Amino acid sequence: MNAARAMHGTRVRLAMTPMIDVVFLLLVFFVCTVRFERNEAVYTLDLPQRGRTADPLALQERALVIRVGARAGDAVPIDVQADGLRERPASLDALAATLMLVRRGAAPDAANAGLFVADHPVLIAPTSDCGWQDAVDAFNAAVRAGFRNIGFARSGA
Amino acid sequence: MKPAVARISVIDADLTPLIDLAFLLIVFFVLVARMSGEQLPAIPLPQPNDVAATPAGAGRRLAVNVLAQGGSALLTFGGERFATDASGLDRLASAIAQRLRSDPQVPVDIRADRSLAYREVEPAIDAITAAAAQVGTRVTIRVCALQAEGGTP
Repeated sequence: MNAARAMHGTRVRLAMTPMIDVVFLLLVFFVCTVRFERNEAVYTLDLPQRGRTADPLALQERALVIRVGARAGDAVPIDVQADGLRERPASLDALAATLMLVRRGAAPDAANAGLFVADHPVLIAPTSDCGWQDAVDAFNAAVRAGFRNIGFARSGA
Repeated sequence: MKPAVARISVIDADLTPLIDLAFLLIVFFVLVARMSGEQLPAIPLPQPNDVAATPAGAGRRLAVNVLAQGGSALLTFGGERFATDASGLDRLASAIAQRLRSDPQVPVDIRADRSLAYREVEPAIDAITAAAAQVGTRVTIRVCALQAEGGTP
């Protein structure tokens, strides 16, 4: 067989080394370029001017303030305050329902007049020892209720 | 005298090393682009029950990470670590301001560990606000949360 090949002058030689080289390079390339989905979501903050004096001539609406305290077991103390409103929802899920009731236009029925429009400023005011998870939960409840102008207050405020 | 032998020149272009080198260059540029990009360490972000936030997407962003480390918070930005004391926060604000000067429209994300207290995350918000004041622009600050598996945005 070999003698026959030699006679015809054809000799097939497969160089495996550069092929493996390129295959490994491709592998490295795909490992470098692969991106795992982080599944992250974002809330855009509308922060009050921190550390600056507010313009005394500017008309400013009083914000709907949601105070969130430190968690004690399963209970998180929540206090919703605004002009003509004082509510203490039992949980963060109940907070979303409460906020939905006070937002104008949240429900189509006429009985739900709602005190605040969707653009009314909402201020999440966690205490300094409030958990970040609970603060974000309160923020999420305000977003779920349809408010668009939400920010975090200073913990000492 | 020997008869002149006609020389046959065969050009044998070996493409393998060329492809090899091209791939190496691509890998090199991908790695460099990754290193100069945003550093997003894996952080257990807050995970609300019914997330009403919008997906972060793959757009350009700056990220201030607040990590829980040994019962205290550690701030990182662009691969650099910052203490939560006054000088550390000043340095952080300057670093953010430097990035905002080159791209004032880029949003700044706060990626904080859900086990932290609000007082430990608050300095990050203050530093971003201070950076925006240094640059003299209104910066978009965003808070990052984790979407539940299969959850709707």
